[in-house]
Amino acid sequence: MKDAFATIYETWFGIYSPDYDLIYTNLYDGGGYIKLGLSFALIPLLLWLLFYFLWRYPYGKIWHWLIWLGVSVVVVFSVSYGIANSEIFASGNQALNDALADSSTGYMDYAASLPWRYAFVNMLFTLVLGFIYSLILKQFSKIQIHLPF
Amino acid sequence: MPRKLYVFGIGGTGSRVLKAMTMLFASGVRLENDFDTVIPIIIDPDTGNGDLNRTKDILRLYQEIRNQVDHPDDFFAQEIKTINELTVNRAVVNPEYFQFQLRDTDMNTFNQYIGFDGMSDDIAEKDDKNFVRLLYSEQNLRSLLDIGFKGNPNMGSIVLDQFTHSDDFTRFGQTFGNDDAIFIINSIFGGTGAAGFPLLLKNLRGNANIPRHVWISVAPIGGITYLPYFSLSRQEEINAESFEEKAKIAMDYYNRTIISQRQINTLYFIGNRGNTNHQEYAVGGQGQRNNAHFLEMAGVLAILDFCSNINVLQPDTQVKEFGIEKNTENISFVDLNIENAKRLSAPITKFKLYTEYLAKGLSRALNCSRWTKSNVKMTTSNKQSLLDNQYFGSIEFKTQIQPFNDYFDEWLKEMKDNRPSFNPFEEEITADNALELVRGQVPKGDKSFKAIDVQNCLLTDNVAIRSSEKKHTMLIKMFGKSTDRVLSRKNLIIR
Repeated sequence: MKDAFATIYETWFGIYSPDYDLIYTNLYDGGGYIKLGLSFALIPLLLWLLFYFLWRYPYGKIWHWLIWLGVSVVVVFSVSYGIANSEIFASGNQALNDALADSSTGYMDYAASLPWRYAFVNMLFTLVLGFIYSLILKQFSKIQIHLPF
Repeated sequence: MPRKLYVFGIGGTGSRVLKAMTMLFASGVRLENDFDTVIPIIIDPDTGNGDLNRTKDILRLYQEIRNQVDHPDDFFAQEIKTINELTVNRAVVNPEYFQFQLRDTDMNTFNQYIGFDGMSDDIAEKDDKNFVRLLYSEQNLRSLLDIGFKGNPNMGSIVLDQFTHSDDFTRFGQTFGNDDAIFIINSIFGGTGAAGFPLLLKNLRGNANIPRHVWISVAPIGGITYLPYFSLSRQEEINAESFEEKAKIAMDYYNRTIISQRQINTLYFIGNRGNTNHQEYAVGGQGQRNNAHFLEMAGVLAILDFCSNINVLQPDTQVKEFGIEKNTENISFVDLNIENAKRLSAPITKFKLYTEYLAKGLSRALNCSRWTKSNVKMTTSNKQSLLDNQYFGSIEFKTQIQPFNDYFDEWLKEMKDNRPSFNPFEEEITADNALELVRGQVPKGDKSFKAIDVQNCLLTDNVAIRSSEKKHTMLIKMFGKSTDRVLSRKNLIIR
């Protein structure tokens, strides 16, 4: 699973630099990619399950669906940012911590933008997956089957 | 084995009780012991009578709606047919067949009808004329028959005798099955009902010329006789002050000729002594359009009781009287005895919620709530609702469902405005407090129509409520179930 997620982030979205391999090795070995990947895969799934099966509001309109999509984007963005931040800056990897502490390595400056990038990528996935989840889950929903259309 | 119940409604009271019966059947009330079909038969010479025409229209709408519901199991579950439909064996909605036609009552006065006018003043016939004058007043003789007998059973007994020789009565005999039963509704204090009841009973038990007389003569027969339960705003040709006296005389006659002779299996009596209910004076015709009364609905309970006990009938005539638990002028379900409350509370409350919803709640859900949408993309056709904008704008919805619901609301309102008042529901029901409809009961939680819409959404995929051929199936079956679930969960009905 971590190979799949690593491919997504590193190959598809190019969030990789051999100059800062310690970060990516840490994310790969420490399970960071799995956490990030599951956050864009599972959080929207959970939220859309709530929308389609627990939200018993019979007057749902397209703007309700859009708001829910927005909520899921915000939640995933926040969670992803938190995960990335924690996995990079609060890891138990001594070599990475040392590199981050040494300003001459440039690790700190480079790493500072990474949580934003991961959060942004996950946000995009949330939009796409949210739409796909909707199309699948609505088939089984009794009340919100008509959303998004 | 399926059985039929023939319900004869005689006169204005008969029509009004048949109306109440139709309303209860629409609400989901059903007869027990395999009585799957009810055949209402109206006997009334007053063809322009407002009550009669309203009842016929309600029966027509009932049939039209029910014919468009596939295997109704709650609302409109009880089948109602005319004798004509049984004869031709197909569903042809024509309310005129609910009424037995009487000949020569259209334009004739009573003296023309009995040939009094044709008698000469020769000495040979003069005695006959004088004898007739002993029995009938000048006013009786001059009365036009197309507005009934104006409270004169002595006239009714002559004119009504013809219907037992009619084609309608022959067809009744031809359709009668060996397990079928008969119920007769009449008032004892008027003209048509008081005269028609003993006459009809005599023919049912003793007229060997009716087809299947062998079965009819021993068939279970029940009847409900209305004692005075309303008064009139004016005392003219029909004098309400004579109602009680006429009732006593007629009861004495019934006692001697019907009860003692075991002509009927069960005879129910119902009335309201000392009533304060005044109906607008009208001798008949379109003007006789009395407001619905609680006792007419209570009379339907007699029909239900008769069918429930059909297998334990006694050889002697059983006489039963209707009563309520609390003497009040403002009757609610809790004022009835527990058995009657259980019979009426759920169906009437459910149907009331259904009509209120269609009047006040539908606009919010239409084309928004899933159960009103038939254009949901990327899903299968069996998940599309059949109750879309097109359905609610259809001619069938507008000319069948809506008018029937209007009649139901009018019926409840008239019972509320009458004395004693049947008033189990709150006066002002809005979309926001819809579930506060039962008087004196405030349910917890959301009180709007939302709960109905939720249940309707949950039911939309249910195969059992869907039929594309019979147009009203989904509406009638869906609301039968959704109102039941919502009211049961909120503990608003007596079970």
